[in-house]
Amino acid sequence: MPLVKRNIDPRHLCHTALPRGIKNELECVTNISLANIIRQLSSLSKYAEDIFGELFNEAHSFSFRVNSLQERVDRLSVSVTQLDPKEEELSLQDITMRKAFRSSTIQDQQLFDRKTLPIPLQETYDVCEQPPPLNILTPYRDDGKEGLKFYTNPSYFFDLWKEKMLQDTEDKRKEKRKQKQKNLDRPHEPEKVPRAPHDRRREWQKLAQGPELAEDDANLLHKHIEVANGPASHFETRPQTYVDHMDGSYSLSALPFSQMSELLTRAEERVLVRPHEPPPPPPMHGAGDAKPIPTCISSATGLIENRPQSPATGRTPVFVSPTPPPPPPPLPSALSTSSLRASMTSTPPPPVPPPPPPPATALQAPAVPPPPAPLQIAPGVLHPAPPPIAPPLVQPSPPVARAAPVCETVPVHPLPQGEVQGLPPPPPPPPLPPPGIRPSSPVTVAALTHPPSGLHPAPSTAPGPHVPLMPPSPPSQVIPASEPKRHPSTLPVISDARSVLLEAIRKGIQLRKVEEQREQEAKHERIENDVATILSRRIAVEYSDSEDDSEFDEVDWLETFLKDKKVPTD
Amino acid sequence: MAGQEDPVQREIHQDWVNRKYIEVITSSIKKMADFLNSFDMPCHSRLSTLNEKLTALEPRIEYIEAQVTKGCFENLEIVL
Repeated sequence: MPLVKRNIDPRHLCHTALPRGIKNELECVTNISLANIIRQLSSLSKYAEDIFGELFNEAHSFSFRVNSLQERVDRLSVSVTQLDPKEEELSLQDITMRKAFRSSTIQDQQLFDRKTLPIPLQETYDVCEQPPPLNILTPYRDDGKEGLKFYTNPSYFFDLWKEKMLQDTEDKRKEKRKQKQKNLDRPHEPEKVPRAPHDRRREWQKLAQGPELAEDDANLLHKHIEVANGPASHFETRPQTYVDHMDGSYSLSALPFSQMSELLTRAEERVLVRPHEPPPPPPMHGAGDAKPIPTCISSATGLIENRPQSPATGRTPVFVSPTPPPPPPPLPSALSTSSLRASMTSTPPPPVPPPPPPPATALQAPAVPPPPAPLQIAPGVLHPAPPPIAPPLVQPSPPVARAAPVCETVPVHPLPQGEVQGLPPPPPPPPLPPPGIRPSSPVTVAALTHPPSGLHPAPSTAPGPHVPLMPPSPPSQVIPASEPKRHPSTLPVISDARSVLLEAIRKGIQLRKVEEQREQEAKHERIENDVATILSRRIAVEYSDSEDDSEFDEVDWLETFLKDKKVPTD
Repeated sequence: MAGQEDPVQREIHQDWVNRKYIEVITSSIKKMADFLNSFDMPCHSRLSTLNEKLTALEPRIEYIEAQVTKGCFENLEIVL
C-alpha cells in the first residue's frame, strides 16, 4: 500500500455535526461545505508549494553540479588542445613515485534516517500520538541508557548491524593473526605431493630399461600420487599387479628394488601391518626369494603409499645408518630384512592405515640395533644394480633439504656409497636442514637410486613430516644415539636458532596487537555512524592477505571517507 | 400549499444549486491534485536520471583530469 505523502486536510466537507438552533439547515450545510472547501484549497496550495519547492531544490543542486562539470570539461578541452607530447618528459621516477590517483568516493548512506524524512511526512508524523515520556526516567538509571530506548529505538537495527560488522572485522583479524602464527610456528606441511621435475628423464630411463619395469614404476607413480585414496583399496589391488610383474620380469635389477622396498618397509615400519602379509620365513634361498620379495615389494609399496599420510615417517631416520657396509650377498640381507619386518609387523597393533606415533616409537626402540646391519647392506647392494639410472639422479632433489642431508652424509659414507651419493651433492646444502631430514637421507638416497620415481613424492614428503615431527618425536633423540658422528652437534644449534626466531616473531605479533588495540580505541572514540567506513573496513579485513595491508586499508579508508564524506541532508 | 412549497422548494432548489456549485469546486480541486501528482512523479524520475548521469560523469572527469594534469600522464590506479 503506498504511503500517502500529502493528505489534504479537511477530508470530508460536510461530515460535521450541525450546531443546534439553526433554522435553515441546508444553508448551514452548504456554508460548512464551502468553508471546508476553502480549507482544502489552502492545504492543496501548501502542498503544491512544497512539491514545487522540492523539485526546485533538486534541480537547483543539479544545476550547480552541471555547471561545475561544464567548467571542468571546458578546462579539460582547453588543456588537451594545449597538450604537446614533445614537451612533456617522462621519467621513470615520475611513473613510480607519483601518488596513486584516487577518485572521491562518495557513497549514499543513511538514506532512511529520521533527518532525511520529507517535510510533509514529518508533519504527518508529528500529528501522531507521542510515545510515553520515558526519557524523564533516564537520570535515575544506573546503566546510563536512555529510558525511551527500551520502549522504542529507531536506531536499533543500525546499531545491531554496526556491532556485528565491527565484531566480524575483529574476528577476522584475529583469525589471520592466528593463521600467521601457525604458519610461522609450523612450516607449511605439504599436503600435495609436488611432482619432481626430473621425473620425465627417469621415466625415459625406465622406458629404456624395459617396458615391464617401466610399467611397475608407472604404477608406483600413480599410487603415490593418489595418496588421498584409501590405502586399503590400493593395497588389495596392488599386490596382485606387482606379483604379476615380478613374475614376468625378474632380473638382477629388480633385486635391489626389492631390497630397497624392504628397507623402506622396515624403515617406515608402518605397521603397515597388513594381516594378509605373512612374514616370510627366514630360510629362503634362491627360488624361495621370489616369494618374500613380492610380498616385500607389495608391503613396501603399501608403506610407501601410506608414508605421506602418517607422521610415523619420521621414524625412517632411525633405521638409517651412516656406517659404510661392505656389499654382502643379497640373500642374507633379504632374509634379515624379512625377519626383521616380520618382527616389526607382528608387534604393532592391528592394521590402521595411519598408525599413531607412540606405538611406532615403542617399536622403533627394539628395532634400532638390528636394522643398521641390513640397512647398511642396501646402499651397497644398490650400486651394481642401477648404474644406468645413476646419471639422471644428478638432477633430483627438488627438495633441497633432501640433497642437503645427502651431502652431509657423503663424507660419512665411504666409497661404496660414494657413487650413489655423488649424484645429489651438486646442489648445495641449505644452511639449516632440520635434523630429522638428515637421518632419512640414506633412505631417500636408496629410494632415489632405484627407478621408482613414484617414490619421489614419498621421500619428498618424508622430509616434510619430519620437520614438524622433530621437536616432539622421541626418534629425534634416538637418532643422535644411532648416528653419533656429527648430527648431535648441529641439533642444539639449529633448535636454538629456530626458537629464537619464533620468539622474536611472537613478540612482533604481540607488539602489533597492542598497536592495533590502541588504534581501535582511538577509532572507537570518534563516533562513527558511517556505513561506508564500517563496510569498507570489514571488506578490507576479509580480502586482505597481509596484516599490514589490512591495517593500512582501514586507516586509509577512514581518512578518505572522513575527508570526502557527504551525507545527504534536506 | 404554493406558499409552503415556495419557500421549501426555493430552499431545496437553492440547496441543490449550492451543492452543484460545491461539486464543481471539489472536482476542480481534485483535478488540481491530480495535476500536481502527475507533474511531480515524472519530474522526480527525470531528476533522478539526471542525478545518475551526473554521478557517472563526475568520476570520469576526475579521471581525465588526473590523466591530463601535468606529470600524471600514465593511467593510474583508481580506487573506489
